[in-house]
Amino acid sequence: MTNHRAFMRTCLAMIVAGAAGLAVTTCAKGQATPSPSEIRPQVARLQRINSVLQRQIELAGGKQFYLVLDSGASDITLMLSGAELQRYPVLGLQVGQPRVSWVRRRDPRPWQDVVWSHGELDPPRQIDRLVIEAAPPGKDTAEPEAPPVPSTPEELYPVPSRYHVRFDEGRSIEVRPLEADAQAGRLARLRAWWSAKWHDVVAAVFGTDRDAVRLRIVLNPKDAASLYRSLPPAVHLVILAQGRPPAPGGTPRPSPARTPTEGKD
Amino acid sequence: MDPLPSLPTSTGATPPTAGPEPGPVAAPPVAGLITRALRRLVQVRFDRRAVVAVAISALFVGIAWAGTGYRYQPFIDGPATISGKVPTGDGELKPLAARLDRRFRELTARLKTTAPRGVYIVIDQTQNRLYLKRDDDTLLEARCSAGSGMVLKETGGKKREWVFDSPRGRFEVLAMWRNPVWAKPDWAFIEEGQPIPINPADRLESGSLGEYALYFGNGFMIHGTLYERLLGRAVSHGCVRVGRDDLRKVWANARLGTRIYIY
Repeated sequence: MTNHRAFMRTCLAMIVAGAAGLAVTTCAKGQATPSPSEIRPQVARLQRINSVLQRQIELAGGKQFYLVLDSGASDITLMLSGAELQRYPVLGLQVGQPRVSWVRRRDPRPWQDVVWSHGELDPPRQIDRLVIEAAPPGKDTAEPEAPPVPSTPEELYPVPSRYHVRFDEGRSIEVRPLEADAQAGRLARLRAWWSAKWHDVVAAVFGTDRDAVRLRIVLNPKDAASLYRSLPPAVHLVILAQGRPPAPGGTPRPSPARTPTEGKD
Repeated sequence: MDPLPSLPTSTGATPPTAGPEPGPVAAPPVAGLITRALRRLVQVRFDRRAVVAVAISALFVGIAWAGTGYRYQPFIDGPATISGKVPTGDGELKPLAARLDRRFRELTARLKTTAPRGVYIVIDQTQNRLYLKRDDDTLLEARCSAGSGMVLKETGGKKREWVFDSPRGRFEVLAMWRNPVWAKPDWAFIEEGQPIPINPADRLESGSLGEYALYFGNGFMIHGTLYERLLGRAVSHGCVRVGRDDLRKVWANARLGTRIYIY
């Protein structure tokens, strides 16, 4: 009798253990193997990230300067041959598209997974070259005058209240240095807004392919000025796809050269 | 008896009558003008319908103007869609995901290899700043002097022209010299108004390039300067001038082949 009970207990324990094991393995299986509906977006994301990575590698292999906009890390980096030259923290990022009388004019062309090419500053930096005409040396020629001391970059290149980097195919970046400037007066802001509004109206009505897609980037005023003064000609831009590990070149951090708190220059 | 009518003069003008001397006409006061204009405006009868039509038109134009320009929306990373042949079954999706994951790791590794490792130099020629970097760390930020952008024109002789710009792009340290001696090029003599020497030995000048020079091709160098007070301003002829202490740090860290990025 006791043997029978013991046998029954053993069987019951084995059945319970088996059921528990089966349940655990089923749960584990359920976690490890996602359904096709879960795999599909993952596949699409990976495809997109890989294509952007491929473009980054192509740019790094070239001789052109390029900007890398990482919306996830909130920064824009000027690069050349894979080297980070200058990193600017992005305080705000918006996408602007033209509209006329509240009717939006969408540009059907893709702009996120492509390289934006041949970016140029608008208004361009004016290079005021000093021309020195040297007289041929003679016995009677006086000692030539020493050239004047050149201005500082701040004096040479005044930064406009709004500037663009215009790329091919109607894509552009817009930077408004006054936007994040706490020291800018209300009147200056109002004037900048008014001027920008009128320019935008004209661009939306008449600019058919000049400003089809516009990325508005908010940088702190010092960074905005630095980008305007330093941006090389014919720069490219690539926008990183989100949901990726940190970009090579280290973890995102403000550039040691120019952080908002520093007051060098 | 009626007076005889006066005969017209040959010019047709009547002879001037005696009267007071004409003087300057007193301008009416501004306030008077305004009140007169307002009175006239009040007297004008506006068509009520026209006023309403103009007001409504202005309102519509205003609304249209307000809705014209650029509409900004927060940046959202675009939706990812599978490109190419869309696999349907679970059996096709899984291998594709695995392949893409392998490809992702491969591309990430390739991208890492493009970044410079070890010590490299970055020069911002507009801001006149030199950064000495090691991997992701900045070892030194120094003021420097890049090319002035000036143009020198030779009025006599060969009528040559030089533009004193620093180059942009990626370079490497090709040679390193301690106590460099400068072999002055033609433009240096022309700029100083001196005759160009025939003997090459007369071109040599020591001390003007500082203690060290790092040559990176096409006549361009990173070197010291006698004019440290001008650091931070673009005054050079294309080379990059650095202060003495900063140059020592650059010299201590740089090697032949060290990459230099100038923008």
